[in-house]
Amino acid sequence: MSLSPHTTPSGNLLLGFLLPSIHAAPPFFTQQPNPATQAIVTEQWSRLILSYARHRQLFTVRVEDAEVTGGEWDEILRNDRINRRLRSSHLAYILEQMAAKNQLVYDPPKQSRSALLYWRTPEEWAEVLHEWASTTGQLNTILTFYEIIEPPVPSPLSGIPMQILRKAIHILTKTNRAQIIAVADGEGVRFLPGNAGK
Amino acid sequence: MGGGQSVPKITKQDRAILDLKLQRDKVKQYQKKIQAVLDREHEIAKQYLVTGQKDRALFALRKRKYQETLLAKTDSQLENLEQLVSTIEFSLVEVSVIHGLQQGSEVLKEIHKELNIENVEKILDETAEARELQREVGNMLANSLSVEDEEAVQVELRVLQGETLAEQEVHEPVELPSVPEGLPVSAEPEEEQPAEERQQRIPMPA
Repeated sequence: MSLSPHTTPSGNLLLGFLLPSIHAAPPFFTQQPNPATQAIVTEQWSRLILSYARHRQLFTVRVEDAEVTGGEWDEILRNDRINRRLRSSHLAYILEQMAAKNQLVYDPPKQSRSALLYWRTPEEWAEVLHEWASTTGQLNTILTFYEIIEPPVPSPLSGIPMQILRKAIHILTKTNRAQIIAVADGEGVRFLPGNAGK
Repeated sequence: MGGGQSVPKITKQDRAILDLKLQRDKVKQYQKKIQAVLDREHEIAKQYLVTGQKDRALFALRKRKYQETLLAKTDSQLENLEQLVSTIEFSLVEVSVIHGLQQGSEVLKEIHKELNIENVEKILDETAEARELQREVGNMLANSLSVEDEEAVQVELRVLQGETLAEQEVHEPVELPSVPEGLPVSAEPEEEQPAEERQQRIPMPA
């Protein structure tokens, strides 16, 4: 049987996601007894999960996603063309390996059923955030977190989880490129031009 | 990174703006909630109609209407808040513009101090003096030739001119008209005659 890449039906998205050819290989969905083989499978799965998350701007993955259908992850966790799906135990194992590589963090911490994906590291998010603030002319303006997460005009940061946002802002404050302002009702942030470009 | 640049202080205005923006976010969230309720009541009304409970459907629709008026009210509140925020932000811009203008005018004053009129007059006088001096020196240098020298120079010039003229006469080949080869033709076309007459007449008027 020849393996070939497959483009997912796009749904409401403009572009479908190109599944790698390995996704059509039945053994890919099974946990391999040989550790070397399993390492390759895990590597491929982590890459697939991160690129799919980036494609669809997904931030969370749950072990549960492998158990029930109808979720956001169906397109990659199942392959009905070869009648295979990823077992939840296998997904849990992959997530554990990804957590070790800082490709995700468990959220909330101290459990391993649900995780936040780092398809951009907090450092990369910090750059994206600062870039967005400066290109939209919002440097030196006070912004609320809500305003960043749900801007009136969709931005690369729409829907970013609060935890990642906080981390990114924290990174920017270290280089004086952001300042957190707290009042009784909540918090806001002010982005500053900074000295990164100089 | 250096971190040489200090973070601006958080002022009262900053807090006020943040407060307003947080309020605005709350109103926005509230609107989202109402929108959800609106959708739900609509669904409920539909379901009641399907099962034939008209009264209940009507009740749900009434509730929906009420929520709609709430939504409209929050819209105007939101507008107020946003207007206030932009007014404050605009005023801050104005303040910084005025600050900039002030600094600019101070710099201009400093520069003007150096440019007082007495100074300028003095400098202009000095320049005029220097120019006068320059002119005198020039005159003196130009007049340094005596009258005899000047005449000698003139004579030399005339001799040179004569020589060049002579050279030109020698070297220039003389072009003479060639001798006509055939007999002259006496009979000219009549048409040309009036033209000749005209040519002759032109210099005549006196």
